[in-house]
Amino acid sequence: MFRNNYDNDAVTFSPQGRIFQVEYAQEAVKQGSVVVGLVNKTHAVLVGLKRNAEELSSYQKKIIEIDSHMGIAIAGLASDARVLSNYMKQQSLGSRMTYGRPIPVDRIVTQIADRAQTNTQHYGKRPYGVGLLVAGVDEAGPHLFEFQPSGMIHEMLACAIGARSQMARTYLERNLEKITNSTRDELISHGLRALKETLSQDKELTVDNTSVGVVGLADGGKGKIESFKHYEGQDLVPLLEAVESGEAKEEETMEVDS
Amino acid sequence: MTSIGTGYDLSNSVFSPDGRNFQVEYAAKAVENGGTAIGIRCEGGVVLAVEKIITSKLLKPDANKRIATVDRHVGIVSAGLVPDGRHFVSRARDEAASWRSVYKGPIPVSALSNRLGSYVQAYTLYSSVRPFGVTAIVGGWDSEAELAVDGQVGSGPKLGSGGKVDGAKAGGPGLYMIEPSGLYWGYHGAATGKGRQAAKAELEKLDLSSGNLSLIDAVKEAARIIYVAHEDSKDKEFELEMSWVSSLDGPTHGRHEEVPRQLLEEAEKAAKKALEGEDDDEEEEQEETKDSGNSGERMEE
Amino acid sequence: MNHYPEIWGRPRDDIYGPYNSSYLQTTGPKTYTQSPAVTGTSVIAVKFNGGVAIVADNLASYGSLARFTDVKRLRVFSDSAVIGFSGDVSDMQYIHRLLGSIDIRENYSTHGNMLNAKNLHTYLSKVLYKRRSEFNPLWNHLLVAGFDEDKNPFLSSADLLGTTYSAPHLATGFGAHLAIPILRRLFPEEKPLEEITKEHAEAALRECLKVLWYRDARSLDKYSMAVITAEGIELKEDQVIGAQSWAFAESIKGYGAQIN
Repeated sequence: MFRNNYDNDAVTFSPQGRIFQVEYAQEAVKQGSVVVGLVNKTHAVLVGLKRNAEELSSYQKKIIEIDSHMGIAIAGLASDARVLSNYMKQQSLGSRMTYGRPIPVDRIVTQIADRAQTNTQHYGKRPYGVGLLVAGVDEAGPHLFEFQPSGMIHEMLACAIGARSQMARTYLERNLEKITNSTRDELISHGLRALKETLSQDKELTVDNTSVGVVGLADGGKGKIESFKHYEGQDLVPLLEAVESGEAKEEETMEVDS
Repeated sequence: MTSIGTGYDLSNSVFSPDGRNFQVEYAAKAVENGGTAIGIRCEGGVVLAVEKIITSKLLKPDANKRIATVDRHVGIVSAGLVPDGRHFVSRARDEAASWRSVYKGPIPVSALSNRLGSYVQAYTLYSSVRPFGVTAIVGGWDSEAELAVDGQVGSGPKLGSGGKVDGAKAGGPGLYMIEPSGLYWGYHGAATGKGRQAAKAELEKLDLSSGNLSLIDAVKEAARIIYVAHEDSKDKEFELEMSWVSSLDGPTHGRHEEVPRQLLEEAEKAAKKALEGEDDDEEEEQEETKDSGNSGERMEE
Repeated sequence: MNHYPEIWGRPRDDIYGPYNSSYLQTTGPKTYTQSPAVTGTSVIAVKFNGGVAIVADNLASYGSLARFTDVKRLRVFSDSAVIGFSGDVSDMQYIHRLLGSIDIRENYSTHGNMLNAKNLHTYLSKVLYKRRSEFNPLWNHLLVAGFDEDKNPFLSSADLLGTTYSAPHLATGFGAHLAIPILRRLFPEEKPLEEITKEHAEAALRECLKVLWYRDARSLDKYSMAVITAEGIELKEDQVIGAQSWAFAESIKGYGAQIN
């Protein structure tokens, strides 16, 4: 029934020092639809591809606001993500209540990662089956974190997780410098373009299947922030159009190059 | 692997007929694949260093710290499963905080290591948990001066608390390494992770027990050793992270801190140079400057 | 000697009457601290252009006894705030330890995101309010001085009930009655903060301390002063109100027994 003797639970090491149950949980992330995150010097952006189970059903939410300075994008088991996001909302609210300050992004990410680690060391628990991208701002500027079921967290400049996310990562790696030096709106376009790379031939980004979240430092500076904004439905029209017109422009320049 | 298929290696806390706990040995395997981590203890303090393999270009450079501060005067670096390392550090922080709340002072590095050893050992006792997949190096400085008691009122007794002789010195550097079995020893120089063999060989050459190495030199040696230990996986890029803790009159004033940017870069430069010298002494100087220029660019990425 | 060990060493009932144990209340409500024990008196603080100055004397009184004369009642929190404590000294020590553990926690990660004075005040007021809601208050009135998230000078107070308020100048204890009128005269409401220099603020605080030393019987002429500016915290803990004299008292007439 099992592939080997060492993958029955999360508390057994294989002879190579691997924990198969955790590795299998990472596979659940790859089953989820893709989400992309990226940062420049002022903003952090999340974009996600939403899936609907059937033609007439609604689309699964991919981006969740945690607090006015932070949001997450999810890939994998949505119900596990709900548990984690509820916990993040509580911690975030707790920080505002006790100290009157928005919780620093690295801290809340570490907190969920520590929770996830516990699930990989104690019998009777299972690892979370979801990967998260956490985007937020704090005193140190904008941040993007990747969270994995193993409890691994990484601060990233750009990242993509979920089905066919390798295509998006390739795009992000190729354009990393441009992304880092982009403006807010360019950053969103880069995110959408990376997302587009993952689509199969017959698919397109639409106002129905796309989701965008943006958070950043406000123009005025002095620690003021542009609160997390979640773009869905008709709000996406200008963002998607910007990607199209941007691509048209790029094609022109490419022609000149050749 | 004689253990495979016997069935004695499938559950934690189970002895095999020849008296081994295989799950603990497997946990140690996870450590052997982790980035090299080392600690050097010298007269003036302790240096911790770790090799961080860059697994993706998309990682934010310089951001993902692997050396943790536990209390003002203690730091921990570990090799193996990174999330387990965080669990370990979190326990260390709790122990340090609880020591403070009971004894109104900082926890000695030896006592902290002892408690952490016990904690890790407990994770080898039960089938309901798995052992820690980390070997951790704990480094710190026990204050040599009389410390003000937390929350002390006034200037306190003029001749030192508890009838101690004024001017008497105690404290000093502490360096311990804790393994997945819960076993721990104190060290002059400790190494774990993938490149530990090479690192150990280099540490032994330093003759640390003689007490002749200065803290600044220890920083440079630590950087060099990480570079040497990296030789075997040369195709992968890595970031070097270092921290230190010195005596009260030293550069960190008894606190565990990151090694300052400038010193770190200096140490890295010296490390690269030393390596190139080892590779081929006859290489032309021109070639050398070109090479170091290239690798410098790589680290910026 | 009799065979009732529980009365050995006690006054004999047949001579002194039975022992009155009514004061050893075993019933009735559970009580915690009903009054402070060793106390510090006023703390005074003033905002000025670019910072905050705060003072407290170095005395801890045991009732009316001047018990400890080198007590530091201004406590620094991690280069970002100074907290001045009046009220119970052991509760001050407790809060100080609490702040110490927060400081350690805040320094686990090294990059930015440190608590500022305003965050600290919010936190402390919650601690005080929680304790008073448990009917076990921390018997202090404290002033928190430093900067807020916009880097503006911050000064606010929190007391043993969890009550908070803020003003450009604040004082606790006797100072609330004696120092505030002086500060209101020196720094009237219509005077903008930009016109108050650090030197003005320091001089005003010394003037207040002088008045308090004469009129508050639980005060001392040795004091601590802290000045918080963007450059950091400057704390002096062994200051003296110099050249004071009670000689003028001889010429005061109209009180008590007069000879002529």
